[in-house]
Amino acid sequence: MRKQFVVTSSELLLADDQVVVVLGDISHFQFMGLQNRMKDAGQPQRIFNMGICENAILSVGAGLGAQGMFPFLHTINPFLTERCVEQIKLDLCYNQFGANIVTTGASFDYAWDGATHHCYTELAVLRLLPGMEVTQPGNPKELDTLLRSQYRNGKPTYFRLSDHSHPHNFPIQFGKANILKETPGAKVTVMTAGPILGNVAEACAELPVNLVYFNTIKPIDHEVIARFRHTKILVVHDAHGLQEAIHEVPDLSVAYHGLPDKFCVWYGTVHDIRKTIGLDPAGIRAAVQQRLA
Amino acid sequence: MTPACRQIRKNILEASRASGHGHIPTSFSIIEMMCAVYDTMRHDPKNPQWAERDIFVLSKGHAALGFYAVLAQYGYLPVEELKTFGAFQSRLGCHADRLKVPGAEVSTGSLGHGVSVAAGMALAFNIQNSPRQVFTVIGDGESNEGTVWETVMVAVNQKLDNYTILLDANKSQIRSLPLDNLAARFVAFGCDTIEVDGHDLAALQAALAKPREAGKPRVLVCHTVKGHGCPTLANNIFEWHRKSPKPEELEVLAKELEAA
Repeated sequence: MRKQFVVTSSELLLADDQVVVVLGDISHFQFMGLQNRMKDAGQPQRIFNMGICENAILSVGAGLGAQGMFPFLHTINPFLTERCVEQIKLDLCYNQFGANIVTTGASFDYAWDGATHHCYTELAVLRLLPGMEVTQPGNPKELDTLLRSQYRNGKPTYFRLSDHSHPHNFPIQFGKANILKETPGAKVTVMTAGPILGNVAEACAELPVNLVYFNTIKPIDHEVIARFRHTKILVVHDAHGLQEAIHEVPDLSVAYHGLPDKFCVWYGTVHDIRKTIGLDPAGIRAAVQQRLA
Repeated sequence: MTPACRQIRKNILEASRASGHGHIPTSFSIIEMMCAVYDTMRHDPKNPQWAERDIFVLSKGHAALGFYAVLAQYGYLPVEELKTFGAFQSRLGCHADRLKVPGAEVSTGSLGHGVSVAAGMALAFNIQNSPRQVFTVIGDGESNEGTVWETVMVAVNQKLDNYTILLDANKSQIRSLPLDNLAARFVAFGCDTIEVDGHDLAALQAALAKPREAGKPRVLVCHTVKGHGCPTLANNIFEWHRKSPKPEELEVLAKELEAA
């Protein structure tokens, strides 16, 4: 997805002279070619590797958004979100200045680095901020769709990227859930979001359940959730935020299968972490079967 | 003290008395600084959203009453409205909301934010090849915040020579984390730094008009007195930090102001 971010934002940089990319000292190598071409063409600098200063990047991004630019602010997830909650709350949301926050590394791409590089709370926290849009694309194509549809709307919008995409291919739209499987008479509806769909879809393939997929956590698709309110809902997600958003629709029966109340500090890879907390296909299947029982 | 600056301070005292809200000393320390900026920058009180205007951001947001009084003096607000300061449904909160106050460009309050948003605006104007300038007032207390220094590093590195920080060096931080040698710090960071008497309007105007060092953000280290104009305030800054004057106190402060 990070490569797709470079591709899409580069195309937008060339097509739209109000686009600015601000990097927190990652992905800069991938932008260097375009940066040099723009410089050689005598164009104003609009790609900035600003440094390891995430709080300043957020606020500077708000200032850019305030004065007619459409910035993409980009670095590793927890540093640009959990570290910068007050900048997002005040400089973007309270001031109603727009910016696109594009992070990478969720949830456990950097499993080997420990909890400093993991993302546990940011979807849940950011969705609570007034005026914020929160998305979690599941693969590069979804990211491309969401970036293009939202980057210019003048709102603070969050894009949560991972390098471990799901393999499925279906059209998506900002704010709309996809019903990927509807089983007549199903008593359980599994709801999920983002890259973990790969494991969830595999786990549910042979089970008599409905499967709903979200690319947008805020605004959450109330209509689709309400359609399955007569069923028992199981939220399967490698983050907090989706289950809380689903509760915007009242009177649901919701259970959550996802992050434990502890830091997942066993190193290894994302797959090791997912397996340990029951978010591999077998673990998810067991959780769904328990909900079906 | 110029008659206009005296009148602004008088309006602050009366608004504080009427509203019951304070932050008078911190407001008093930046009146000349803000007047110098409003005398210098391109702005139009009749059209606060004028597309070619320069930008002023009050980063030390707790001096909002002083900011409103200056805005009133320059025609953005009716003076009488100052008395609604902090009242339910007033436009004038104890920290400014840009969506409510004509002339407020950034809603501030938590320290170390406005200064950074202002730098982003200056960067936008550079990208747009626009002559628009950005001015921001920060406090010495605010300069305890790490984001101030992150932003100064970024502003220097991005060569924001359309960006001016006016630092209100009113020494309020003697109570906790004082920053000595402020000018030397900004010089060391690479800023075009000028030290000035923050209550000398002509000196402030001259400093703002001075030709700039190309490619450098400018910092005016403005030496000020918290509560300037009223010895009762200046000699008791901690007691008066948030206090609103009682009628008899207002009388004393007004007399002191007339004598200043």
